[in-house]
Amino acid sequence: MVTQSGQGEQMGAGEQQDARQGPGQKTPRWTHEMLMNMDRRFIFVVIAIAVAAPLIFPLNLPVRSSREAEAYFNEMEKLQPGDEIIFSFDYEPDTMAELDPMSVATLRHAFRKDVRVLAQTTYAGGVGIAERILRQVAQEYDKVYGEDYVFFGYNPDYSATILRMGESIRSNYPTDHYHAPTDGIPLMKGVDCYDDIELLVTVTASALAEYWIIWAGGKYKQRIIAGNTAIQAVLIYPYYQAGQLAGFLGGLKGAAEYEKLIGVSGAGLLGMDAQSVAHLAIVCFIILGNIGFLIQKSRTKQTGGPRDSRQGG
Amino acid sequence: MWEQAGIVVGALVTLAIFSLLYKDNPLYRFAESLLVGVSAGYYLVQYCFSAIYRKFYIPVIGEGDLWLLPGGILGLLILLRLSRRVQWMSRYAIAFYVAAWSGYLIPSVLQERILIQIRSTFPPSLAEASIWAVLGSLFLLVGVVSILVYFFFSAEHRGALGRISQVGITFLMVGFGASFGYTVMGRVSLLIGRFQYLFQDLPQALSF
Repeated sequence: MVTQSGQGEQMGAGEQQDARQGPGQKTPRWTHEMLMNMDRRFIFVVIAIAVAAPLIFPLNLPVRSSREAEAYFNEMEKLQPGDEIIFSFDYEPDTMAELDPMSVATLRHAFRKDVRVLAQTTYAGGVGIAERILRQVAQEYDKVYGEDYVFFGYNPDYSATILRMGESIRSNYPTDHYHAPTDGIPLMKGVDCYDDIELLVTVTASALAEYWIIWAGGKYKQRIIAGNTAIQAVLIYPYYQAGQLAGFLGGLKGAAEYEKLIGVSGAGLLGMDAQSVAHLAIVCFIILGNIGFLIQKSRTKQTGGPRDSRQGG
Repeated sequence: MWEQAGIVVGALVTLAIFSLLYKDNPLYRFAESLLVGVSAGYYLVQYCFSAIYRKFYIPVIGEGDLWLLPGGILGLLILLRLSRRVQWMSRYAIAFYVAAWSGYLIPSVLQERILIQIRSTFPPSLAEASIWAVLGSLFLLVGVVSILVYFFFSAEHRGALGRISQVGITFLMVGFGASFGYTVMGRVSLLIGRFQYLFQDLPQALSF
């Protein structure tokens, strides 16, 4: 494996090698030592170039949609004009890069189908994100606040929020984020709990999708789809396999797949070239590191030295 | 104008944070401190506005909903942890919170995370699903059982038990590999997000 050691460690490994070889013996030191102790700054530069170059010169590599993304798309596609969805922005600025494209694409899909959106966030840091994205996408589709969408803002304690919305959205949010009484919002006529909602969408960077599944899905039988960070996606698969989640998107790749399915290019598709090239660079580093490790292993076998340089010289 | 200025400041702070990749420096430390300070201020205002003002002050003082007072008193009790003399009183609030949370969570988690997951581990019949779906479910069942055997520590892992736990380790390794792959993808995505900001949003804001 490629180690992320600095120059100090390189020197240490080189000195250890000298001590084993003894004076007078000249060996091609650069081969495996360079591969095993690559300067981490070199790796950073290569990754930076691998990410930046495709953003400046797009390669337009193909993107194939997964079964989970198609299920997510189909759930949204089933909605009829005038249907209501709850859209929960369950993330903060640290994961905007992965999740903003999902939120934008989902809202575009919803507004294009004249689906009405009840938006909220269970994270204090999600308020600014939600306001910005709602305003941007609503402007694109000429949607009117209060009639086509509403934003309730942040509500502390996600568990109480999820459970209480099953009883009454109005009692959970007596006013919207801008202090307007919820009762007076035209969109809220005849809408008060999960029974009145066709679909719940959570875009999240945490285990919150699981809590929506446990409480809104389990207790109130609310149909749910989720957008997740790549790290979180692994934990979401069992719920999808069990049918507790109707569809989900995983990471920027999931966002790109969904953008392709709705036919509107966004940050997800634009970032896929960079993602692929960066992954290729990382795979190359892993292969180079392993080649260095194998060379070192075979040499130490020949000289009868230790099996692994990490065990000491 | 202000939005453009904000984007430029964001770009400068991004570069300052990236400078750590070369080595620690005052610019990085300034950007880090700025992030901590701004975050603390933002969250303090959000929590005070959303919890104390919207959820307590307006209903109790504005609308006279006194049912919320006990909750407010419990909340105040938690703040008593700051004083050594009366910090014991905060335990009542914590005890109430733990009890309520357990009541919420335990039955639901048992049902949704354990019972339904166990049920979905069993393969469907051939009448309900395709041969590939059934084979896939069987594969899943083998993985679940062998991993459970691997975590069974009351008997030495020798013979059949040892071989099954080896299969379990293989499944675990595949799982960790997939998880690591997703983590790498996630981290690269964050970098892409910053680069899109620097190469696309910034020039747009400066109207290049």
